[in-house]
This record gives sequence, C-alpha cells and structure tokens, in this order.
Amino acid sequence: MKTLFRQHVFAFRVSLRHFFSPRSGFFLNVLVVAIALSLPFAGLTVLENVRPISEQLSVEPEISIFFSLETPRESVKAAEPQIMQILQETHSYGKLEFVSRENALTKLQDKSGMSDAVSALGGNPLPDAYVLRLAGFDNLAEAHRIDTIASQLQALPGVDLVQVDSAWVKRLSALLHLMRLSLLFLAATLGVVVIAVVFNTIRLQVMSQREEIEVSRLVGATDAFIYRPFFYTGALLGLCAGGLALGAVAITLQPLNQAIADFARLYASEFQLTPLGIVPTIAMLIMSAGLGLAGSLLSVQRHLARLR
Amino acid sequence: MIEFQHVTKQYSKDAIALSDVSFTIGKGELVFLAGPSGAGKSTVLNMIAAVERPSSGTILVNSQNVGKLKSSGLPYLRRNIGLILQQQRLLYDRDVITNVMLPLIVCGAVPSDAEKRARAALDKVGMLDKAFWLPMSLSGGEQQRVSIARAIVNRPQIILADEPTANLDRVSADQVLSALKAFHSVGVTCIISSHDEQFLDSANHVIYLAKGKVVDHWEDLSPCRELS
Repeated sequence: MKTLFRQHVFAFRVSLRHFFSPRSGFFLNVLVVAIALSLPFAGLTVLENVRPISEQLSVEPEISIFFSLETPRESVKAAEPQIMQILQETHSYGKLEFVSRENALTKLQDKSGMSDAVSALGGNPLPDAYVLRLAGFDNLAEAHRIDTIASQLQALPGVDLVQVDSAWVKRLSALLHLMRLSLLFLAATLGVVVIAVVFNTIRLQVMSQREEIEVSRLVGATDAFIYRPFFYTGALLGLCAGGLALGAVAITLQPLNQAIADFARLYASEFQLTPLGIVPTIAMLIMSAGLGLAGSLLSVQRHLARLR
Repeated sequence: MIEFQHVTKQYSKDAIALSDVSFTIGKGELVFLAGPSGAGKSTVLNMIAAVERPSSGTILVNSQNVGKLKSSGLPYLRRNIGLILQQQRLLYDRDVITNVMLPLIVCGAVPSDAEKRARAALDKVGMLDKAFWLPMSLSGGEQQRVSIARAIVNRPQIILADEPTANLDRVSADQVLSALKAFHSVGVTCIISSHDEQFLDSANHVIYLAKGKVVDHWEDLSPCRELS
C-alpha cells in the first residue's frame, strides 16, 4: 500500500514536471480547454440563476373563471361547490375567491386610474368571476394537471372563459427546458473538444518522452507506472482549465451585472447573476478533471500500445 | 539459470536472426557472446530480457518460460536483469543519480533509500563525484559506467551487456571490463556480447555465433586458463 502511494506521489511529481516544462506548451493547452469549458459554464451559471425564479413563479398558479354576463348571481354562487369537487377529483387543493362584477369594476377603477373612462361606459361590462389559487404545485412538471382542471371548469354551466394565469410560466418552463437541452448539447460537443485537446497534448508528451518510456520499460517499469503520470497530467490539465473557466465566468459576471441591474430596475426587480455555488463549482471542477482524465486515458492506451 | 532450446527468431521470410540455437548458461558464469556483426548476439540478449520473443523454441530464465510470459509479467522478469547497452540510453535531461535511481523508483523504493543505493552503485563504478552531472557533460566511457551503475543498482541476478565497450577508448574499455568482472566475482551471471576479445581472457564460457547459429561453444574455461 505504501509502495503504491509512493508511486502515485512520484507520478504526480512527474506530471507536475510535465506541467511546468517550458517545452510542453501546457499553459496554452489549459487556455484552449478553458475557453471550450467557459461556454457551457457560462450557460449553466445563467440557468442556475434563472431556475429559482421560474420555480418561484410556478408555486401558486392562478385560474380565473369568468361567467357570462347573463348568468345570474345565484347560479354563479351555486358553481362554488362544483369547483371544489373538481379540485377533489383531481387531487388538488387551493383557495377559491369570489370576485363579484361590482368589486372587479371598483378594483379596475382604482388600479387603472381610468375611472372616468369606465364611468363613460354607462354600465358594468365585467362578469362575476372566481379566482382559484392552486396550492401544492412544487414544479412546472405538474402543469398538465392545471390544464385538466381548467378544461373541467370550462365545462361548468354559465362559465364563459377560464384563463390559466400560469400559461406564460409554462412558456418560460418550455424555454428553460430548451435552454437546458441546448446547453447539454453544447456541453457534450465541447466535452468532445476538451477530450480531443487533452488527447493531442498527451500524444505529444508520449512522443517527446518516448525514450524515457522505453528505458523505464527496460528497467522493469509496469504499464501502470508508465501510464500514471500521463493520467495525472490529463486530470491536472482539465482541473486547471475548469478552474480558469469558472474564474473567467465569475469575473465576466461583474460588468454584465451592471447592465442587468439597469434592465431589471425597469421591472422593479433586483435580479443579479451570481457565480455558481460551492457544490456546482466542485461538481464542474470534478467534471473538468474527469474530461481531462478521459482524454489522457484514450491517448495513453492508443499511443503507448503502439510504442510497445 | 538460462536455457535456450532450439530457439529460432525470424523477422520475415528471408530475415532469420537466430536458427535453432541451443545452449545453457549456469548461475554465476561470465559468458562471452562472440561473433561477427549480424551473427545474432544482440538478438540473444534481447530475448533473455524478453525485449524480443522467439518465433519458435523455448527460452528459460530462472525456470520461467520467457517466450510465453504475459506482458504483465515482463517488468518482474526485467527487475532481475541488469541491461547494459552499446547506446547507453540514459535520460539526458536528468542528472546521473536520477538515472541510476530509476530501476529502484519503478519498483517503488523509498526515494531516500534509492538515492543511498544509487550513490553506492556509482561509487562502485567510480562515478560518485559526478552524481549530479548531466550525462551530456560526461565522456562516452563515463556514460557507460553510469549505465553499468544503473544496471547493478537493484542487485540483479543477471547482467546483459551488449557491446559495452564499443566506441570507447582502451582506458575506458578497461574500466568497464573491470566493473563487470567485479560483479561476476560476487556471483552475478554476466553475459557480454562484444567484438572486444579482451573479454575472452576473463570469460569462463564462450558462445560463438555466426549467421544466427551457434558455431562454437566453450564451457568451463577457467580451469584450463589456470593450468596454462
């Protein structure tokens, strides 16, 4: 066990020597890999920032049930138990609020500041309505359940229009889903780029250290002993590039946030992009090192087998 | 200790390096592989170290069939063999002591112990004062002595020397020969392939190869030499 540990320490030292060797062009390779990684990291940072907002929006979807103007108040009131029954049947629960046409008109006048214009209408054009605030919706994946409830409510007698206020949330959800898929595709493509860059870097190292490899074999080195420094080199390359890419994204957020703050202020929002948290950062660093390791693994197997 | 049984090595239809070669080398012998260029001397040494595999026949090293040894077993065979090559194959970007330490490091030795043993090996070949020099700044003879130190540092049972004095002047060649004799005297089996007939005087077993075949074979030469 101690011997194995010693050999790992030796391999790590050798990989550091490769790392700092002026001939290796290692820092240039780190830069290339970092550029490739920074794109998906930036995308992930944006998604991670937007995700909580979309989740918050979807917590309490609202359904507005508008009755036709001809429906008498008694019939509207009689619809309340039917609405509650629909909720029960769909295993949903929520808060139902009746908004009389008179109340709605008052609110409209107060809110819009168009009391004169509304008075000019000569009558109340607004219908009686219910506002149903659904609870227990943890995520947007449950949006289909809202559609089921809405279609059942539409079938109630006297109901003119059922408006699902979460429609735009669903659109945002679809957009985020599309972004996630695009990011995944981008990450996969750039992951291949990273593996290719590491593959080539290690190939050049194997070629430049051909003599050392052959001599080591002649004096009794095992394949594992020969491979290990290259694995460490690949993993280190990935790790450094990942760290550099994350740092670059975090630095880029600063000037970007100023522009975002100006924009968000127009919507009375304090939205700002923040760098990835500690857990996603560690996960990204591990993933970067893993990509580097994968590239070196493929390269070493291919090129050292040829040397043998 | 080492046994060749009807060994043939054929690279292509017309390129036959060894043809039906058989001989036995006992433990502690100093063997001189003689013969003209292209006789197959280097091939014999390469096969003992499993650098090359026989096309047919059997090679036994310490009762181990080298020809059938799996690649995972090769490093452990080579750790018992010290290789000295005509081209010393030193690592020119490392200092002398790092080169000598390499066989110990690959075995997982503690670096401080490895350095101690490397210093001792360099001392045996008279190169301790140049332990931290780069090989490029050494003469050909000195580089060869460094490669001898590397070959003996892990105390191998067998030393294979392929043209160890080629391209060396007489003084350097004598130093190399003295070093090899010293290891033989402590029971190490030394097999030396060379054109240098000076080795003949020291060898107690001579195998003369020509065109890939054993032409002459003299064993137990030491008693005869003592009588003469």
